[in-house]
Amino acid sequence: MNIKERAEAWRSGVSKNITFIVTKDCQLACKYCYLVGKNINERMSFDTAKKAIDYILSREDEFKEESVVWDFIGGEPFLEIDLIDKVCDYIKMETYRLNHHWFNSYRFSFSTNGINYHEKKVQDFIKKNHDHLSIGITIDGTELKHDLNRVYKNSGKGSYKEVVKNIPLWIKQFPFAGTKVTISSADIPYIKESVLHLYSLGIKEVNINVVFEDVWKDGDDKLFENQLIELADAIIDGGYYKDYACSFYSEHIGKPMDIKLENQNWCGAGKMLSVDAAGNFYPCTRFAQYSLRSKKAVIIGNIHDGIDKNKLRPFLTLDRLTQSPQKCLDCEVASGCAWCQGENYDAAETPTIYQRATAICLMHKARVRANNYYWNKLFRKLELEGEREEYEKSKHDGPLKIC
Amino acid sequence: MLQYLVILLAEDSVSFCHYENRNTGNLLSINALKESLRISMLENLSVQYVFPEGELPAEYLAAIEVVENVKIMPSNSPYAEKANVLVFNGFFNLKSAKSGIPYVVRCGKDEFFTNYEKLIPLLEVTPHLSVVFKDLVKFNENDFAQYKTVLETFSKHVEELYVDGKSPQFNLLTDRMYLDKMRNCEAGVKTITLAPDGNFYICPAFYYNGEMPCGNPNDGLDIKNPQLYKLEYAPICRRCDAFHCRRCVWLNKLTTLEVNTPSHEQCVVSHIERNAAKSLLAAIRKHGEFMPQLPEIAEIDYLDPFDKIEK
Ligand code: SF4
Ligand code: SF4
Ligand code: SF4
Ligand code: SF4
Repeated sequence: MNIKERAEAWRSGVSKNITFIVTKDCQLACKYCYLVGKNINERMSFDTAKKAIDYILSREDEFKEESVVWDFIGGEPFLEIDLIDKVCDYIKMETYRLNHHWFNSYRFSFSTNGINYHEKKVQDFIKKNHDHLSIGITIDGTELKHDLNRVYKNSGKGSYKEVVKNIPLWIKQFPFAGTKVTISSADIPYIKESVLHLYSLGIKEVNINVVFEDVWKDGDDKLFENQLIELADAIIDGGYYKDYACSFYSEHIGKPMDIKLENQNWCGAGKMLSVDAAGNFYPCTRFAQYSLRSKKAVIIGNIHDGIDKNKLRPFLTLDRLTQSPQKCLDCEVASGCAWCQGENYDAAETPTIYQRATAICLMHKARVRANNYYWNKLFRKLELEGEREEYEKSKHDGPLKIC
Repeated sequence: MLQYLVILLAEDSVSFCHYENRNTGNLLSINALKESLRISMLENLSVQYVFPEGELPAEYLAAIEVVENVKIMPSNSPYAEKANVLVFNGFFNLKSAKSGIPYVVRCGKDEFFTNYEKLIPLLEVTPHLSVVFKDLVKFNENDFAQYKTVLETFSKHVEELYVDGKSPQFNLLTDRMYLDKMRNCEAGVKTITLAPDGNFYICPAFYYNGEMPCGNPNDGLDIKNPQLYKLEYAPICRRCDAFHCRRCVWLNKLTTLEVNTPSHEQCVVSHIERNAAKSLLAAIRKHGEFMPQLPEIAEIDYLDPFDKIEK
């Protein structure tokens, strides 16, 4: 399932997302990596994964979602391809043996740095599970941009060359695969060329987000707006809008939101489940200790004692109103202004998930202005060319923005 | 708005609620006591002293009378005659106590299930009886069933007293009858606690369980994320009509990690009480008109309002 489908499935509430943090190790030491507690020691054992799977599959009445996404993350998940292969076989076997409703409604999902994508073990795994796989390779943009951040842990050398040589194989195997780009302050000047570069590599769907952390400097919002306007010009003038997608532009963002009708929480924490090498359960990986800067992990149970449902209650009843400051409730451009529950928790003054962080405020407003520009320009062009109607009929919404 | 200042005079001040105290005997410093009383006058706060079991130095006994106050004392306090509220630890010495003032009986659930009948005579001695459970979060499915049965039996006695023209007040059964909106503990909103370490805390439980203080008498009160203690910011509670529920923000924190989110156990226990109050009100009204201004308590099909929230 690609990122877009995953987001849709989550939204309609039919898919359960279960994440195994198989390793906290990675070949790279990306400069923006939010995993503050990365290390080479914590690798998941098969026994731990098995216990987690047994716990979940034996509670069909509690995990009623129509389908499941088994997500494997790291560090770099493919460093643990042997374990993953064994775990996936076990899942298939057990869902069959139990006649479980997830037997044929499952995906295995990976976010990888792409470095060992071509290796035999990884390729064998892909061949074996192809129809049930979604794999996202992270590539940041041009070589210069990519190598600015995504460097090897040991040598400090950029990783672009090793990754990019695997892109054609990846696209051949997963033609609709998308990539995920995360923008921090230093990345702003490279946004336009990065997105165009990814398109030129044949990647049709670029999911791009600014980080939720408070990293922004004075003037970043203006720079960001200019980059998005330049990118809008390039996409429209170059005709990319027909076949390519960039999640920055969406017709649905930048509108005021109804206090009563649009009160949902945005992120999936608590609806998904994450398990680490120690066998602890988390509402999302962002609440594991290695992802947190300043707060204690939120552990909601473990593979031996099960899930403490009381600890899930705040996640499942959280809504937009209760966590947002007044400025967001009054905001004229609120729609599409997202948050990450984990970052909210990490940044909050007390250990709560009920204090929304708004570090992205100016960035969202800049995005909204550039987004308005994009649609005004695009629709005018389509109208002048008499293609508006056709576009409306065939359009697919830009990919949904997810974490 | 803040209305009450609870002052723990010592580390072993009696626990009047769900938490455990500590038995070190350290006193609140006399300076912190005096400073906090000055603040209570500046901010119009009503003061409630919580007494330890032992004696207090004369200096303290004099200092505390500078402001009008309520004295919460353990039932075996040497000053019990001066108490405004008496706290009983379990079911001992219930009979020998001063009458005419509110009682709090602090006990475990099993202790309550076995001894609840001992409370019935108290209903005619005290204007208000409160039972608080030390182990509220340990209620399980069996306990819920037993609790329901016990409250039904208890209710019969209360009903008889009402028919006799008396109006006993008992938190688990009658509090809800008289309410048409929430009246919870409101720690952190209406009440703040001065602990023996000289700092303010949301309530004594926050102090005894190592939570961060929220200011001190010199620097003033500083509650972080104060909105989260308010009903409007509690997504489950604000939809609930167990109006008498304590909505204990400390147990919330303990069980769900969020002060605004109650545990399943808290909600079910309060709903068993709510439903018992509903039946009691209806039963009393069968004997004649009774407080017609009070609305009926509605029939509902859940014991945990969490189940009614769309997720
Ligand atoms: S963070 Fe800023 S842009 Fe986003 S909803 Fe709040 S006020 Fe609006
Ligand atoms: S937005 Fe943050 S907390 Fe929510 S699901 Fe994504 S990473 Fe987890
Ligand atoms: S928050 Fe209120 S109900 Fe809970 S322990 Fe403290 S005083 Fe008691
Ligand atoms: S019963 Fe539950 S939801 Fe209702 S007030 Fe009490 S704690 Fe809140």
